[in-house]
Amino acid sequence: MAGLLKRIVIVGGGTAGWLAACRLGASVGKSTAGALSITLIEAPNIPTIGVGEGTWPTMRATLSGIGLDEKDLLASCDSAFKQGSRFDGWVTGNAGDSYYHPFTPPFDAPATDLVSAWRELGPGAPFAFAVSAQPAICEAQLAPRQHSMPPYAGALNYAYHLDAAKLAARLARHAVDDLGVVHVRDEVVGIDALEDGNITAVLTRGGERVEGDLFVDCSGHTALLIGSHFGVEWIDQSQILANDRALAVQVPVPADSPIESQTIGTAHEAGWLWDIGLPARRGIGCVYSSRFLDDERANEILRDYVARVAGEDAAQSLTPRALSFPTGHRAEFWRGNCLAIGLSAGFIEPLEASAIVMIELSLNSLIENFPASMDMLPLHSARFNELFRTRWDRVIQFLKLHYLLSCRDEPYWRAQRDLDTVPQRLADLVRLWRDQPPSAYDLPLAEEIFPAASYQYVYYGMGGALPRHLPKPRKSVMAQIEQLTQRSRALVAALPSNRAYFDARRTDLPKVDRA
Amino acid sequence: MTRHVILTSEEHGTLRVRTEASAELGDAVMTSFTVPFEFRRIQHDFPILFRRDIETGRFSALALLGFESGENLFLQDGRWIADYKPLAMAIQPFLLGRSVSGDGPSQVHIDLDHPRVSDNGDGVLLFDSSDRPTPFLEQIGEMLAELDAGYRASGDFFAALDRYDLLEPFALDVELKDGSKHRMVGYHLINEDKLRTLEPNAIADLHSEGHLMPIFMALASLSNLPKLIALKSRGDGNG
Repeated sequence: MAGLLKRIVIVGGGTAGWLAACRLGASVGKSTAGALSITLIEAPNIPTIGVGEGTWPTMRATLSGIGLDEKDLLASCDSAFKQGSRFDGWVTGNAGDSYYHPFTPPFDAPATDLVSAWRELGPGAPFAFAVSAQPAICEAQLAPRQHSMPPYAGALNYAYHLDAAKLAARLARHAVDDLGVVHVRDEVVGIDALEDGNITAVLTRGGERVEGDLFVDCSGHTALLIGSHFGVEWIDQSQILANDRALAVQVPVPADSPIESQTIGTAHEAGWLWDIGLPARRGIGCVYSSRFLDDERANEILRDYVARVAGEDAAQSLTPRALSFPTGHRAEFWRGNCLAIGLSAGFIEPLEASAIVMIELSLNSLIENFPASMDMLPLHSARFNELFRTRWDRVIQFLKLHYLLSCRDEPYWRAQRDLDTVPQRLADLVRLWRDQPPSAYDLPLAEEIFPAASYQYVYYGMGGALPRHLPKPRKSVMAQIEQLTQRSRALVAALPSNRAYFDARRTDLPKVDRA
Repeated sequence: MTRHVILTSEEHGTLRVRTEASAELGDAVMTSFTVPFEFRRIQHDFPILFRRDIETGRFSALALLGFESGENLFLQDGRWIADYKPLAMAIQPFLLGRSVSGDGPSQVHIDLDHPRVSDNGDGVLLFDSSDRPTPFLEQIGEMLAELDAGYRASGDFFAALDRYDLLEPFALDVELKDGSKHRMVGYHLINEDKLRTLEPNAIADLHSEGHLMPIFMALASLSNLPKLIALKSRGDGNG
C-alpha cells in the first residue's frame, strides 16, 4: 500500500535519540503497520550535553516498557534514586529556608481539606511533611524501595539520578542488540527534500544516503532538520526565565558517604545551584543570568558551594565546564515529516528536570498517535504542535512560580518577579489561590506535565497565601495526617539507606560489562 | 545454631530484620506451630492437625503447609501466597523470654543467628533514632503477646479434648495427579463421630470454657486439604 510510514530515521544519539530508538523499536511489535524499520544516525565524537541527569518517575514506565531490567539500569548508569527536589534559600535566603517538592503526592483528600488540616498543625509544620511521608524519608537519606520488592516498584514514588552519557550508551546497546535498531555511525552532511520541504533522505559524510518516511530530529541545539532545513522559528522565552549560563562540575565522593534522596536546588544571588548525588560522584552546577552575574563571580559561588558540601580540597581542583543556553522552544515541533525531540525542540533550565520527561511525553504522543499514512501527517503534526506548545508553556509557568513567590531582595530576584515578566495565566492562578488552593481544576489537560500536587508543594512550600476563608478541618482528614505519621515511622524503619542499597560489596547486583 | 539474647535498644539500635518470605530465611517448613486462639485465622488458609509429643505426651496444634519435610506450598517465587501467615512464623526471629520460674514480666528476645537477622543493610529497623521501638517491633510485640497468651490457654483446651477423647489418629494418603502416593502419619484429628454424639452437658461444658469454637474451626480447616493437594500436584512451592 502506498503512503505508509515504514522507515523512521532518527538523526542524533544522546538521551533523546536513543530513547526514541528504544521506544519506537519496542513498539514495532505492537504496531498494526508492522515492518517498521528504525535507523539512528549518530555523528561520532560529538559529546552529549549531559546536564539532564535527573528524571521524572515516568522514566520507570518508559524503561520497563522497553524491556530494560532495573538492576541493569541502576548498575550501568551509576544511578541513584531521586524522590523529588529540595529547594534551599529560595524564599528569603536565610538559614532554615528550605522546602521539599516530593514525587509522592499528598494523601487523597480535596485540596481545601488538605490545606485546612495542615494549618491546624500550626505554623511550624511544613506542608510537604504534613501531607506526604516522603520528605521524612528524604531527610533520613533512605531509598524509596527495598531490594526484595519487584523491579520498578517502590514504597514511595521515585525517579532516577543518573549519568546521562552512560544512559545513552546503555540505551544504544539495548536498541541495537535487542530491538533491531540500525545504528549508523556517521555525520549528516546533506538533506534530500521535495519541493514542499519534506525530507526524502539524509546524506552522510561517508557517502551513505539514508532514506526515510519520518525523520526524528534529535540533533540537539544544532537542530539540523527542524532548524537548519525547515527553518522553523525559535521562540525565545528568556524574558520570562532570565538564566542563560551554567557552570557544571563532577565532584568524586568517598565510597561510604551518604547519598541524598533528592536533587538539591540552592538559590544564590543571581540564580541557583544544582546538586545531584550519585554513588560515586556529585554533579554540581551553577545556573545564573549573565545580565546579573559575571562568570568569575559564578565560579566563586560554585567553588564556595563545593567547598561547603565536599570540602576545601575538592573545591581547589575544579575545572568547571561552561555552558550558555537559550531559553525557549520551536514555534512548531513537528513540520512535514520531521519531528523534533529533545534540545532541538526546546531548552529550559533544569530546575524541575523537565528535559527528559518532555522527551518521554513526545514519544508517548507519537507512538500512541502513530500516523497510519503519509497523507495524515498534517493532521497529526497540528495536533502535536498544539499539545506541546501548551506543555512548554506549562513548564515555563511552573518554573516561573519558583521565582515569583520568592522574597529575596537582590536585583536578580526582584527582576525575576517583575510582573511584566509573568505570564498572564500564572498571574491569574496566583490571584485565584488567595481564594482557593491549587487544584486539578487549574490543570484540565488529560496528561498535565506537572500535577496539582506539584503546584501545592511549591506554592505552600514557599509560603504562598492561604485561601482567605478556610473551612474548619475535617476529623477524617486530621486522622489521615495521624496515619501518615505512623506510616512515616514504619517506612523510616523499613527502608535501607541509599548508600546501603547501592553498596558495591553487595553480591546480588549485576556486574557491569565495561567493555 | 541459635543465639538468644534479650533485645535492647542499646545493643540492637541499628539491627535490621528481613521480613520478606523466602526459603533462605527459614520459611521452607512443612508445618507451623499454632494455638487454639489462632484457629479462626488459620482455618481460612491451612488445615489444622494435632500431634502428640512422644516425650511429654502432650498435644500441640499445627498448621499444615506442605506434605514433605522442608516443603512449604504457600511459598512461591519468593512470595507468600496465602492471605495470612501463622503467628509462630511471623514473629521470627523473635521470641518471648521469661525468668526460670515462669512468672514475672516477659521480655522480647531475638535469635541473632537466625537468617532473618540482616547483615547487608536490607530489612526493617527495630528501634528508631530516639530508641523508641519502630511500628514493626511494636507489631511483633503484640504478636508475641498473643501467641504467648494463646499458648498458656492451650493446656486447658487439650485437657478438654483428652477428657472427652475427641482426638483420633489419622493417616492420609495423598494421591497426586501423577499417580504417586504420599502417606502422612503421626497426626491426629478431631473425632467427628465422638463430637456428634457428645452429651448436651459435655457440649455446654466445652462451650462455657470457650473450646467449642476452636474445635469447629479445626474441623472446618480440613476443607483446605484439597487446595494443598492441588498445589502439590502442580509442583509449586518453595520457589
